[in-house]
Amino acid sequence: MTKLNSAKDLAALRERLTTTHKRPDRCVAVCSGTGCLATKAQVCADAFATELQRQGLAGEVELRRTGCYGFCERGPVVVIQPEDVTYLGVKASDAAEIVESTLNQHQVVERLLFKDDHGTRLQHLNDIPFYKYQTRLLLDANTRIDPKRIDDYVANGGYSALSKALFEMKPEEVLAVIKHANLRGRGGGGFPAGTKWETTRKAPGDIKYVLVNADEGDPGAYMDRSLLEGNPHSILEGLIIGAYTIGACEGFIYVRQEYPLAVTNTLIALDQAREYGLLGRNILGSGFDFDVTVHRGAGAFVSGESSALMTAIEGRVGQPRPKYIHTSVKGLFDRPSNLNNVETWANVPLIVNRGSDWFRSMGTENSKGTKIFSLVGKVVNTGLVEVPMGITLRDIVYKIGGGIRGNKKFKAVQTGGPSGGFLPESLLDLPVDFDDLWNNGSMMGSGGMIVLDEDNCMVDSARFYIDFLAHEGCGVCVPCREGLRQSLHILNNIVAGKGREGDIELLEELCDLLTNASRCALGTSASFPVMAALKHYRDEFEAHIRDKRCPARVCADLIQYEIDQQKCVGCPLCAKSCPTKAIHGTPKKPYSIEQSLCIKCGACHQVCPAKVQAVLKVPALAPRATTVS
Amino acid sequence: MVQTEAAKAPTNVDVLVIDDEESVRESCRHTLDLEGYRTHLAPDGLGGLKLAEETRPRVAVVDLRMPGLSGIEVLERLPAIDARIVPVVITGFGTVDNAVASMKLGAFEFITKPFEPAQLVDAVRRGVARSLGREHAMATAERASAAATAARAPEEPDVILKGLEALSEGYALGLTASNLVEELRQLEAEAKHHAETLGQIKKREKVIGDLVADLRFVDAIIQKHDFRKNALIQILLDIQSKKHWLPRHALMWVSRRLNVPLSRIYEIANFYEAFSLTPQGAHLIQVCLGTACHVRGGPLLLKQVSAVLGIGAGQTDPKGIFTLKSVNCLGCCALAPVVTVDGRYYGNPDLRQLRELFQACEAEVATEVAAS
Ligand SMILES: Cc1cc2nc3c(=O)[nH]c(=O)nc-3n(C[C@H](O)[C@H](O)[C@H](O)COP(=O)(O)O)c2cc1C
Ligand code: FES
Repeated sequence: MTKLNSAKDLAALRERLTTTHKRPDRCVAVCSGTGCLATKAQVCADAFATELQRQGLAGEVELRRTGCYGFCERGPVVVIQPEDVTYLGVKASDAAEIVESTLNQHQVVERLLFKDDHGTRLQHLNDIPFYKYQTRLLLDANTRIDPKRIDDYVANGGYSALSKALFEMKPEEVLAVIKHANLRGRGGGGFPAGTKWETTRKAPGDIKYVLVNADEGDPGAYMDRSLLEGNPHSILEGLIIGAYTIGACEGFIYVRQEYPLAVTNTLIALDQAREYGLLGRNILGSGFDFDVTVHRGAGAFVSGESSALMTAIEGRVGQPRPKYIHTSVKGLFDRPSNLNNVETWANVPLIVNRGSDWFRSMGTENSKGTKIFSLVGKVVNTGLVEVPMGITLRDIVYKIGGGIRGNKKFKAVQTGGPSGGFLPESLLDLPVDFDDLWNNGSMMGSGGMIVLDEDNCMVDSARFYIDFLAHEGCGVCVPCREGLRQSLHILNNIVAGKGREGDIELLEELCDLLTNASRCALGTSASFPVMAALKHYRDEFEAHIRDKRCPARVCADLIQYEIDQQKCVGCPLCAKSCPTKAIHGTPKKPYSIEQSLCIKCGACHQVCPAKVQAVLKVPALAPRATTVS
Repeated sequence: MVQTEAAKAPTNVDVLVIDDEESVRESCRHTLDLEGYRTHLAPDGLGGLKLAEETRPRVAVVDLRMPGLSGIEVLERLPAIDARIVPVVITGFGTVDNAVASMKLGAFEFITKPFEPAQLVDAVRRGVARSLGREHAMATAERASAAATAARAPEEPDVILKGLEALSEGYALGLTASNLVEELRQLEAEAKHHAETLGQIKKREKVIGDLVADLRFVDAIIQKHDFRKNALIQILLDIQSKKHWLPRHALMWVSRRLNVPLSRIYEIANFYEAFSLTPQGAHLIQVCLGTACHVRGGPLLLKQVSAVLGIGAGQTDPKGIFTLKSVNCLGCCALAPVVTVDGRYYGNPDLRQLRELFQACEAEVATEVAAS
């Protein structure tokens, strides 16, 4: 690689990459995001490499290992370009057939296509309902580039926004564009990025920092992972533009170490950008110096909070500081520091390139652009979805997500992670909008969207978040530490069938304490899931407390497993699966469960064939006397 | 401890001052003479090295910026003259880079101009103590290696101690002799403990070998991070990812090399999920209990896996084959519930599939044990 010393050099490189050095048009793109790797995309891609070679297509057809396509549950996803034929759930053993039929004979392999509700097979990615209702501005490139190759990014127009900002715009002009676009932070709070940038820009001091928050502590969400793994340069480009605008000399990417592929791809991206002179001294010959370091986070939800994240980069235990002074003014090493979420940064190059009016054309009054959600839980189609702001939750759950799986009933959708709330059926027509979600007891959050059905217990779900936060908080301030501990204690009692009259009121009081007295947003928002659950699903709490009954049959102390002697056909599946050997019987005769040995792990319930359904969850005769601390 | 040892260090020893500024040289001489040291002065690097040859000082006070041979170059050449000479660096430019470069070359203390006489005296006094400690360690090392070649009985009780003492010279520990011995005793106890509990390592020599390898490995990591204290968490992550836990001797080593209190290291290791302070099984099983996995039966899956393996979350089985952990989101939420076995992901696995995987893990450990 030769260093690019001017905007012209960059343009010339792009010209070369799209003409003389263009890669073959025909391509087998194999999704190699972590989701698909889990479903063996690696072996699948290797099989394609072998097949292309064997069938003499290696020179003509490119094999590209791309970032995440989003439709992870149906992976590995393979797309044949330029025809845009999309295959789902591809196995290594399918490679020979696909290369033979689709690439050699231009025939489609029907059985690997998406099948819609009417049984029609759909060929193209964007025909599939999961994709059809999305607006994929940020995720789209994931399908076209190999994240380990900067040339792919450049060929697709990458770094043109940086070049435009450096050579055609003054920092104030970039700032004005971001402000006018009304880009709001995608990491949770929705704070306007432009305003934050301006504060850091104007803060006194020569040395300033810009940071990327890729800690993604929200359990159940993986948007940031996917962007960083699949298109690291887009974040880097945004970060460099931000640094130029703010006047920062150094940048940090804080990424959780549980994401090894994201760390690897980011480090590769930094090296390649440096080699091209897009990072380091005198970027593109503009005289602007800026470099970036990757810092791995060691896990701990609270480390994603801005001041805690900065303390962690300083090499200390990541605990939040009281915010008398904002980190924008006095942050990392006490210098002005601007922190934004991965997705926020990834939006920057798009806005600079296409202008703030374009960005404002999407969304609602106060929420512009798109938002990526991790649509998971009980919907049919789970995965990463990017939608325009303003789309309703109902559209996301039903049109994109395909509704609830297994003909079950919808119960709730949860957004905003541990700081968000549950939204019931009656609020499904809410638009995705920072303020609307907030006003209804939830929040946009970083993008977790978890769908719950009738089989999920709301008390258990509320308990889940409190348990999570009680373990993940830093324990420094008393209201948060004790508030969470006591709430957890009460909820543990309730799910164990030991709830008492007055517990609900006590929980409400604790919620109030948490919200009003905690040091950082972990505590102040910790009560949201409980408050929302109490507001919309109070009857479930009451059933647990008064009747010692779990309506959804989830809470282990309130249920037991039994085998319906009439229905059981005497296959030994349940007995074989039982890890504690609690199921007795002889084949061909009904089996039975010895309750004293049963640990209620549900293995028998899961293996009992759907046609038989002999294993039942029934209310426990008497709540077991398990001790709860 | 270090303080009292240093306070007892003798002052009737030779100290060399190399500085191009006459006023600095003279004020150093004045200060050190008052304390009873035999002070020698040199105005430049070459002269200083020559004087070092002749006088074999305990401590050499070296200015970094000098015309001709620079301070850094002097530091590079001093060990060849006599490994016992402990350099103390003075400079008018106290940058981090300088400090790191000179510390790497064995500089013991870093004083920025202008400095108080007391600062100089303190540095020199501790430098002398260290030089003596080094001499002692070198002597022990010689004896130890002589003893090692003389094919001792393997039962000799001090074998680990001696081996490590020999090692200490190579690492030029910043410790006094008694401190060092105490630390090594702890290492020895630890090594024995592991040998017993794991039941895998029979030969004590192997324990020493492993410890030495560990410390070398830790040192390489610290060096990669340029001895920066800020990089502490990153250093610990690197150790954890390679060794799967943070052995005490490794942490002690980090503490010494970075000069951060052991308590701070433990604070970090306790706070973050990523670190384990106990040995981990040969195979790591993680069950996700993040939100997406929770609503799709993660807790049930954990109960099942835990019952099959016979250990709870956060535990390692007595044979050291499996460690079971529960985690908050592995970033594969669409495939929930998710389990990883040695870093490989499995989405919504059935129990039979997992049982097979576990059996394969057990078989692997069994063959390894048989092979060794
Ligand atoms: C407890 C806690 C955890 C957080 N975790 C994250 C996180 O994992 N990722 C993230 O981007 N922001 C997280 N945030 C929000 C950050 O503090 C910060 O507001 C955000 O990174 C700013 O970027 P944005 O304005 O682009 O959203 C967290 C906040 C709190 C209080
Ligand atoms: S919640 Fe289990 S992988 Fe995300």
